[in-house]
Amino acid sequence: MVARIERSSVPSSPLLNVKTLFQKHSRKIIAPLVAIALFAVFWQLFSMTPNAGLPGPIRTLQETWYLIVNPFFDNGGIDKGLFWQIFASLQRVAIGYTMAAIVGIALGILIGANPLMYDALDPMFQVFRTVPPLAWLPISLAIFRDSNPSAIFVIFITAIWPIIINTTVGVQQIPQDYKNVARMLRLSRKDYFFEVLFPATVPYIFTGLRIGIGLSWLAIIAAEMLVGGVGIGFFIWDAWNSSRMSEIIISLIYVGIVGLLLDRLIAVAANRIVPGARS
Amino acid sequence: MKSFVDIDHVDKVFPLPNGDRYIALKNIDLTIQQGEFVSLIGHSGCGKSTLLNIVAGFEHASSGGVVLEGREVYEPGPDRMVVFQNYSLLPWKTVYQNIALAVDSAMKKLPAGERRGIAEYHLDLVGLRRARDKFPHELSGGMRQRVAIARALAIRPKLLLLDEPFGALDALTRGNLQEQLMRICEESHTTCIMVTHDVDEALLLSDRIVMLTNGPEARVGRVLEVPIPRPRHRLEVVNHPSYYALRNEVIYFLNQQKRAKRRPTAPAMVTSGAKTTVDIGFIPLTDCAPLVVAQEKGLFKKYGLDVTLNREPSWGAIAEGIASQRLDAAQMVAGLPLALTLGMGNNAPIPVITGLVMSRNGNAITIGKPLHQKGVHTLKDLKEALLQTPDQSHIFGTVHPASMQNLLLRHWLSSGGINPDQDVSLTVIPPAQIVSNLKAGSIDGFCAGEPWNARVVYEDLGVVMATSEDLWAGHPEKVLGVREDWATQRPETHMALIKALLEACEYCDDRRHREEILDLLCLPQYVGSDPVYTRLGFIDPYLQNKHAEPESLLRHNQFFINRTNHPVWGETLWIMTQLARWGISPFPKNWVEVLGRTCRLDLFSAAACELGLPDIETAPKPFSVLDETVFDPNDPIEYLNRLPFCRSIRVEEIMLDAPPNAA
Repeated sequence: MVARIERSSVPSSPLLNVKTLFQKHSRKIIAPLVAIALFAVFWQLFSMTPNAGLPGPIRTLQETWYLIVNPFFDNGGIDKGLFWQIFASLQRVAIGYTMAAIVGIALGILIGANPLMYDALDPMFQVFRTVPPLAWLPISLAIFRDSNPSAIFVIFITAIWPIIINTTVGVQQIPQDYKNVARMLRLSRKDYFFEVLFPATVPYIFTGLRIGIGLSWLAIIAAEMLVGGVGIGFFIWDAWNSSRMSEIIISLIYVGIVGLLLDRLIAVAANRIVPGARS
Repeated sequence: MKSFVDIDHVDKVFPLPNGDRYIALKNIDLTIQQGEFVSLIGHSGCGKSTLLNIVAGFEHASSGGVVLEGREVYEPGPDRMVVFQNYSLLPWKTVYQNIALAVDSAMKKLPAGERRGIAEYHLDLVGLRRARDKFPHELSGGMRQRVAIARALAIRPKLLLLDEPFGALDALTRGNLQEQLMRICEESHTTCIMVTHDVDEALLLSDRIVMLTNGPEARVGRVLEVPIPRPRHRLEVVNHPSYYALRNEVIYFLNQQKRAKRRPTAPAMVTSGAKTTVDIGFIPLTDCAPLVVAQEKGLFKKYGLDVTLNREPSWGAIAEGIASQRLDAAQMVAGLPLALTLGMGNNAPIPVITGLVMSRNGNAITIGKPLHQKGVHTLKDLKEALLQTPDQSHIFGTVHPASMQNLLLRHWLSSGGINPDQDVSLTVIPPAQIVSNLKAGSIDGFCAGEPWNARVVYEDLGVVMATSEDLWAGHPEKVLGVREDWATQRPETHMALIKALLEACEYCDDRRHREEILDLLCLPQYVGSDPVYTRLGFIDPYLQNKHAEPESLLRHNQFFINRTNHPVWGETLWIMTQLARWGISPFPKNWVEVLGRTCRLDLFSAAACELGLPDIETAPKPFSVLDETVFDPNDPIEYLNRLPFCRSIRVEEIMLDAPPNAA
């Protein structure tokens, strides 16, 4: 009986496999495709009206085809392919975000484990948290007097709050059961930290990291527009100044896709590291 | 045998946000032997898990404490492993890692290889070899609980604490796990305390089942031994002849508690319009002193009470006064609240409660001169005198069927082989008239309170054969009784009454005040007796015989010292057995409920607490009265069956609350 079930569940050919897969998820695949097509049609119709300020999808593709097919060109200065522009932005995000993650998790654990620190610092964090990322830029420019570190600092200061706050909550929310087990076994402080506190907090930390990466990516585009240099943000600003609307549109699509990929990356990492954590 | 775990008078009080206190546990006193399996059973919210947490060290007792092998428990430790209902496994660790964490942290001194061996061994013990590297979320509930048990057992705890360990499992898994747990515990001789509300589980696993009453102020209601031999198997246990009897006992207890829980609690209290005028009935006797003192020394006024003391002709009048609500409260003989609650004389039960014992001792058995002159000096002489004159009827007076005088006299006669129902005849005479009856020769002897024995001896009309001290030293004598509905409607008045009288009792036992109290007692509106004999035993040494040396009886009238005022369940239960023994009232099948309703330890402890007096209850311990027969408060029926001259006992369910009118 077991054998029969196994045989029937194994597809006879790879083609069939793809086909069944498609049949299974047809709605999930077809529906978004239809929506995108409809969106493109309406966009095209809209751009064909007189006084339309935006190019239609067909013109956009025509005008930016050289950017799409040549992402790796490098003509020196800031005249580089989209890959390099995005890569430069990602580098800044990587540095700022990593620093935010390290400092944020450490501070979060400290504050979460210490009610006095929490009471003292939480109101301040709640205020800082609401400050828009770009508002930090003048301050960071004043501190660093250089565009690149300032942009990295903006990423850092944007990403750190959700990480701190979520880590704090995570430490505070460690279920009493786990604490009881630790008390019963009389775990040492070191063991408690590594065997109970940290693993119990990891799901919360990843929530903070996911929010943080999204905010970083939001902030870097805006920051780069202001500080200039190589980077997708300034690329967009430069295109606007030269009235290359098609390039702006294609950049936006790239930015969106990269943001989505970053978010997925953290989610996948979370699922790998936290066994059995809620998705 | 030395006890292994000693749960010593544990109270647990939680402060409430509104400033009140919630008393979860009261006077829990248990000793557990090594290797014993004890279950705690009771309805939800009765504090059984709290008790387990106190033993585990997660919570601290508000008073009292837990001693494990001679060391007090302060904090959780690996010598007391807990198996939680929700397993409490660490989800980021595999089965093996969860067990290994416990072993590694609790057995640091062992080499790593040995520790690994212990963890693996216990993995096999609970049969989880194949799930070794799985995470808890990949396991079924039963498997998770097995991991938790393995983790707990792996570090060889002195005590295994199980908090409804199988509560969340399906019946089949539960059954398997119970058998496994039992086998493992028997093999490793682990001492266990398990919280459960599954009666069959408790019977299968336990050596003793501790049944807790409902919270608040949960107490140990009953302790049941499970004498089924080990090793046990489910089927054999179920077929054991005593299984269903035991099961019924537990279920019956739980049903009683369920009924008590459903009972509506105090209706909306009228604090502003609370009745502060109180009519209290009393009988002219030396031990009405607390009432007299509270009235004359202004203690009732101090607590805002306007009290009228009504001198009643007899205990029967007191009972009638309370039943008809003519009296709000009364001085009562110790058995009267029970007798009224149980519906003495085929009356409808009237729940009457007592939260204060006003006096102990103060009775004596006296015989008249004619009997004494026939050479009756001892109980044995009396028996012989009765045998010699079989055609002559000997009449003894007591004051009320439910009085300690009646019960003690009957118990005393029985202990000398005299059947109080056949060999003599007993008659009820109000205390104040007892001396004239003896003088007139209409009775041959009596058992009554003071000052009437002292008067008989002083006037040389008879001799005292036995005093309270000889019969049952420190027996409860007079209590403050009120109707339960009255107390529910006027809780503050009742509390004020208890406090005023408690303070009066303390005043009475200061011997410097005795002369003053004697003057008050001898006033015509109170006892109105001659101070010459009233002072005997109260102030001066006691005279048992006009021609003998007076004897110093410092505790003949005991009002405060030596925990006089604490109501005690065990004593009340003894009275209940005696009422049944002599056919005065049926024995209530729901005796735990009746005890809890009439003998209100909670009221006394609240009053004592407010007055700043120590409130230490004694644990229910077996004791014996006068003879060798030991009274175990956990098994009153068995005690009754061993007593001589026991009438056929009616065991009845006493419905304390009128059945609801509509279904």
